[in-house]
Amino acid sequence: MPARVPKPRILIGKPGLDGHDRGAKYVAHVLRDAGYEVVYTGIRRSPEQIVDAAVQEDVAAIGLSLLSGAHNVLFKRIIDLLKERGAGDVLVFGGGTIPPDDLPGLEKLGVAAVFTPGTSAKTIIETIDRLLAGRAKP
Amino acid sequence: MTRSIAQLVEAVVAARDDIAAIRSAAQLISIVEDAPERLPELIQAISRLAEASRPRHARLLLGVTGAPGSGKSTLVDAMVAECRTRFPERRVGVVAVDPSSPFTGGAVLGDRVRMMRHATDPKVFVRSMASRGHLGGLTLGVRGAIHVLGLLGCDVVFIETVGVGQSEVEIAGVADLVLLVLAPGQGDSVQLLKAGLMEIGDVFVVNKADKPEAAKVHAEVLAALELDKQVHAGEVDPLSAESGDGSQAGDALAFERGRCGRVEPRACLVSAQDKKGVVELVDAVEEIAAGVAGPSHEESGLAGRARDGFGRPAGRTSSGHRTVQAVACASG
Repeated sequence: MPARVPKPRILIGKPGLDGHDRGAKYVAHVLRDAGYEVVYTGIRRSPEQIVDAAVQEDVAAIGLSLLSGAHNVLFKRIIDLLKERGAGDVLVFGGGTIPPDDLPGLEKLGVAAVFTPGTSAKTIIETIDRLLAGRAKP
Repeated sequence: MTRSIAQLVEAVVAARDDIAAIRSAAQLISIVEDAPERLPELIQAISRLAEASRPRHARLLLGVTGAPGSGKSTLVDAMVAECRTRFPERRVGVVAVDPSSPFTGGAVLGDRVRMMRHATDPKVFVRSMASRGHLGGLTLGVRGAIHVLGLLGCDVVFIETVGVGQSEVEIAGVADLVLLVLAPGQGDSVQLLKAGLMEIGDVFVVNKADKPEAAKVHAEVLAALELDKQVHAGEVDPLSAESGDGSQAGDALAFERGRCGRVEPRACLVSAQDKKGVVELVDAVEEIAAGVAGPSHEESGLAGRARDGFGRPAGRTSSGHRTVQAVACASG
């Protein structure tokens, strides 16, 4: 059987101290079913761990699940670290309990999409497909 | 910015400890993962490097295989930690394969979850790979990844297979040594008698020693290895017993061994999660490796042979007699 080159690789991470991983696992499963290779990194990770793993895994995107309220700080830290490591081209998206008032700020930081509770699997896939469409691998 | 294989190879050797080298190495692995047919291009680019900057090959390729959930990733994590403690100056690589969906092509690569404490260690490089329809326990990109990890200066490379069943034995043709991870609850001693997976282990790691049944499994593995030894020493040879003296068929059977293991197999009792028996396991691996991957291993030894490629029939030992060694690690 010929090797089948799937869609770009995506890392799913949960930075910070909350341990509620249902959302992260849900998104990992949804992306898997949409044909993505998902590197799942588990709960309670530091921004450094997530970014270093993303560099080694050469992923096209990082999805972060946050329910702790620390999203403004952690998204910024991760985006800064990616730039520091010469991986500023990696797309960052996220999800979790993020108040609507914070969304414009996150967008300004460079977060490509935020999926708040209730977002359908269909919307997630359509959005990720669209965001990664222009990033076909060489 | 898209860089060519040659440019990426140069970038990796330009500053091996730099984050830029790690990123280049990761991109290089992606290229040969997505297009395994470009592997010769990579090998050629490496061979074109100046002698001084040309990498040594990885000193030791350690295969880790076993059924899903037997603790392969946790064991690799513990062994990586032990290797880093023993050899602080050496770099360790890990390639961990998980299955792709035969329906969508997607995958969840979760081996890394157990190894995240090493994520920020610049001397540890972990790469997850999906099987992408390849049967046998590995994926086509593994060979390229091994070359890139060698280029990056990894001394030891762990190759973790997908969770395997009874017949995925490809790892035996790639790794220098195969660690077969077993855990309690996977059946009785008849399972140990079966062909396939049980024939490729060089070190049988009975994991989850914290579970009550583990010691029994360890004892059963030891008994199975002892039986194997007797069979191949001709001490128990049903054919020659049937056909009387000087039976050539019997001799041939005794010589044509089923096992492809290249060293005397050992059985270790380990609890990777509780970090028990890991030191003794790494001792055992080091001891075996000293014998199989000496200074001259590049061409003639196991590491050299292992790089001959996928699909190569695994080498068989020609010696008729082996000693079964028990390393009862967690019992102390």
